Amino acid sequence: MIELKNVAKNYGLSALGLYSESAIINTGEIVGILGENGSGKTTMLKAIMGLCDIQYGEILIDGRPVFEQYDRMAFITCEGSYFPNMTPYEYGNFLAEFFPSFDMDRYWNLIKFFDLDYLKKIKTFSAGQKAKLEVSAGFSKGAKYILMDEPFLGSDMFTRRDFLKLLVSDFREDETILISTHFIDEIENIIDRAIILRYGRIKADFYIDDIKNQGKTLADIMTEVKKVLSKSKT
Amino acid sequence: MLRFDDIELNNREPVYMQIAMYVKRQILLKKVADGEQLPSRREVAAQLSINPNTVQKAYKLMEDEGFVTTSGNQRSILHIDELIFSRIDDQLTRDMIKGFIKSAKGINLSFKRVVDLISELWGDE
Repeated sequence: MIELKNVAKNYGLSALGLYSESAIINTGEIVGILGENGSGKTTMLKAIMGLCDIQYGEILIDGRPVFEQYDRMAFITCEGSYFPNMTPYEYGNFLAEFFPSFDMDRYWNLIKFFDLDYLKKIKTFSAGQKAKLEVSAGFSKGAKYILMDEPFLGSDMFTRRDFLKLLVSDFREDETILISTHFIDEIENIIDRAIILRYGRIKADFYIDDIKNQGKTLADIMTEVKKVLSKSKT
Repeated sequence: MLRFDDIELNNREPVYMQIAMYVKRQILLKKVADGEQLPSRREVAAQLSINPNTVQKAYKLMEDEGFVTTSGNQRSILHIDELIFSRIDDQLTRDMIKGFIKSAKGINLSFKRVVDLISELWGDE
């Protein structure tokens, strides 16, 4: 379980990250963190991972702060967390040394599945190939909490499909996945729940089945959230 | 084994209900039989690229409605007897007719016009 209690984060005076937001994410859920650019998605994920300091509030993972349990967390980001001068082969060996529960077999299966050249330096890869490597590493860390920030950036439709298929077929009940993306239609059937951010605030938080029961789609709700805000501004 | 090969998911209804409805249709069309095995939850999730929790929810719903039983080793099989078959038959038929009546009323058709048209067009299809 991830608990966010009144978490606030701003980047100086000019930019707002999150504005005193609270949420509870249960173990076993696949949650979409959605919203427009600059709405606070990356800030929220980085704050949970302990990758940025928060000015106010508290974040607990299974009741304990993140810095006590980095080995249970994986962060997959479009910015890339690999070393560009390493080959996938070298990077795998590095991760195995660094993460005690790193699953080398799984890593190799993913590298093969994504058809990546394991002897070429990562910096020579295309954007899509880099994303595939990032995902291969993130999913092999043996983490219980997997946070993904725009993992599809630079990936084509077929790669995205492969990736989602992989995600659902490997998902285990004791894992929790948070994923931020703009590909709403493609993840609609993948996520249990959606948290929609706008200007650093949680504007909606709901289970997909509940909105379907009301005859609505994820896109409908996102449009509603946008409208409500535009109206209140005028 | 029951396969979900030709299921087409829409994005209007909850996916778990669509899965349960698909199985009911297969039962009604007699494409599946009593005792037939269902794929594992993980297999269905991977095949349809949907959340495994959703598949679990669908299986739970089908268990609650009595036409799927899951034994200790987690293998789920279909359980179809006369009572269950007639209940599914009744439910699906009524749902279909209800939907038809709703759309007929939606365009202000009279009962007589509908019945006349059904009599006229029944043999065409």
